[in-house]
Amino acid sequence: MTVRIFVANRGEIAVRIIEACERLGFETVLGVSTADRKTLAARRAGRVVTLGGPRPGDSYLAMETVVQAAVSTDCTAVHPGYGFLSERPAFAQLCAENGLTFIGPAPAALEALGDKLRARALAISVGVPVSAGGTADGLPQVNALAEQIGYPVLIKAAHGGGGRGMKRVDHESDLAQAWDLASSEAQSAFGDGTVFLERFVSDAKHVEVQILGDRHGNRVHLGERECSVQFSYQKVVEEAPCAALSAATRAILHDSALRIAEELDYVGLGTVEFLYDVDREEVSFLEVNPRVQVEHPVTEMVTGIDLVREQILVALGAPLSFTQADVRLSGHAIECRVTAQDPDRALAPSPGVVETWRPPVRAGLRLDSHVYQGYVFPPFYDALMGKLIAWGPDRASAIQLMSEGLDEFGVGGLTTSLELLKRIIAHADYRGNSVTTNWLDGLIAQGATH
Amino acid sequence: MEFTEFRFEKGEMKLAISRGHLLSDSAESPRPHAVPDTVERQVSTPPAASQPAQPDRGPSPGKVHVTAPMLGAFYRSPKPGEPPFVEVGAIVAAGDLLCIIEVMKLMSSVVAEVAGEITAVLARDGELVEFEQPLFEIRPLP
Repeated sequence: MTVRIFVANRGEIAVRIIEACERLGFETVLGVSTADRKTLAARRAGRVVTLGGPRPGDSYLAMETVVQAAVSTDCTAVHPGYGFLSERPAFAQLCAENGLTFIGPAPAALEALGDKLRARALAISVGVPVSAGGTADGLPQVNALAEQIGYPVLIKAAHGGGGRGMKRVDHESDLAQAWDLASSEAQSAFGDGTVFLERFVSDAKHVEVQILGDRHGNRVHLGERECSVQFSYQKVVEEAPCAALSAATRAILHDSALRIAEELDYVGLGTVEFLYDVDREEVSFLEVNPRVQVEHPVTEMVTGIDLVREQILVALGAPLSFTQADVRLSGHAIECRVTAQDPDRALAPSPGVVETWRPPVRAGLRLDSHVYQGYVFPPFYDALMGKLIAWGPDRASAIQLMSEGLDEFGVGGLTTSLELLKRIIAHADYRGNSVTTNWLDGLIAQGATH
Repeated sequence: MEFTEFRFEKGEMKLAISRGHLLSDSAESPRPHAVPDTVERQVSTPPAASQPAQPDRGPSPGKVHVTAPMLGAFYRSPKPGEPPFVEVGAIVAAGDLLCIIEVMKLMSSVVAEVAGEITAVLARDGELVEFEQPLFEIRPLP
């Protein structure tokens, strides 16, 4: 029987999933909002059904509608991509109840990882290093905990993620108010007001390990990525591997990621995120993202493994086709996220008509995108237009190729982040590999493209 | 393209396209709704496609469409086996119940927005209808 997969996402990742399905000989059905009927993914999918209006709540986040659409079109599995419904235990559960394979971890694993405090406790329980931190009830206890951790501290929402719901506190006098505010914001944004404290690491690199598990107890890691170039916790440039790590630190990272995967009996693709404190040469666990990541192509480029293909196959029950010993890293890959955002206006979104779309064409460059010339970039969703990925035998040659690629990239009709990306890639700090997670915020504050 | 007839089979999918004349073997014909109107779409459309995800192209002059307010299963009668809420030729008042759309066991009623005569039923009982897909055509009456 032919496998038919429902693609419950949009944009470049929908195209990526459809391509992986095509190569596997699987059929696809894409659910779209009325704003996305003319996207590249809609042109490539086997069948397209309109879920609802442009607002995500009426289409891409409408769980019952998505499941109904998948069942009614005789799909057997649902690929949630990233964002939208990809990390919702209730959606994974609803798929299971309706006989659909959710291409992602089990609902119980999603539950455990969606709660950052639980994930932190899980990491501690298997001996994975975490930042100093924890939670407490009552102001005196919270104050005592912050004192023990040492200022500055970060207040984080247990059910937040990707930087949402975080607050930095530099002085004890600000703590009580920030704690209450963070808690009430978390309550309204995530439906749960649980917050906790962690040490704020001022000079840290963001490093993450790609993991992959099947339903037969096999688990591998596919090396690490560095994603330190971030604006307000949104990743902008990523690369693999992280060239700043010593062999010993790298081994700790990979081992930690696998321990967490093992404890969860993890099935599917996942990313275990860490902070690497450059001064102390210490890693600390941040969170696990139980889905395909935007930046997965850099890992694909250095491992030669099609992650989305493997993710689909393991979800359908196939055993992993390779072992840890088969995974070999080759060269260096960099990804730049080209977005419809204006670097001169604090990366404000700039939707509109893509009048010119002339991507660079060079050996070693890859472009994951859903954009074409004449495409009307809608204002309802995230600003990602495409991901330009450069591979070279080493970091310097990958940087050189990326630099040439960005210079040749022609986009007209709307403002993009290309000028900012060029400036980042050309910057001595980036080339010298000393960038930490607050570096780009500083650069943009100075005036991004001047 | 120089051909008059094209047949393609893969798994349960059977496609048959003809130009300018009826297919020579009607037993090989796919279900009517699986035959789109152009060759280009024929080749790129898989078996699952019963309706393209197109917005309402608009009713014929003097008539209006009732479109689906949500994606779901389309039901013309209150229960299986019972007569439909409306048939072609029925005169309806604004607010009259026309059909039910089910999304995951949740039933929603679709009512006529204008008074008039039902001139066409555009979706099939029990099938998936998409958001904004035309369901009925009505000729408004004063």
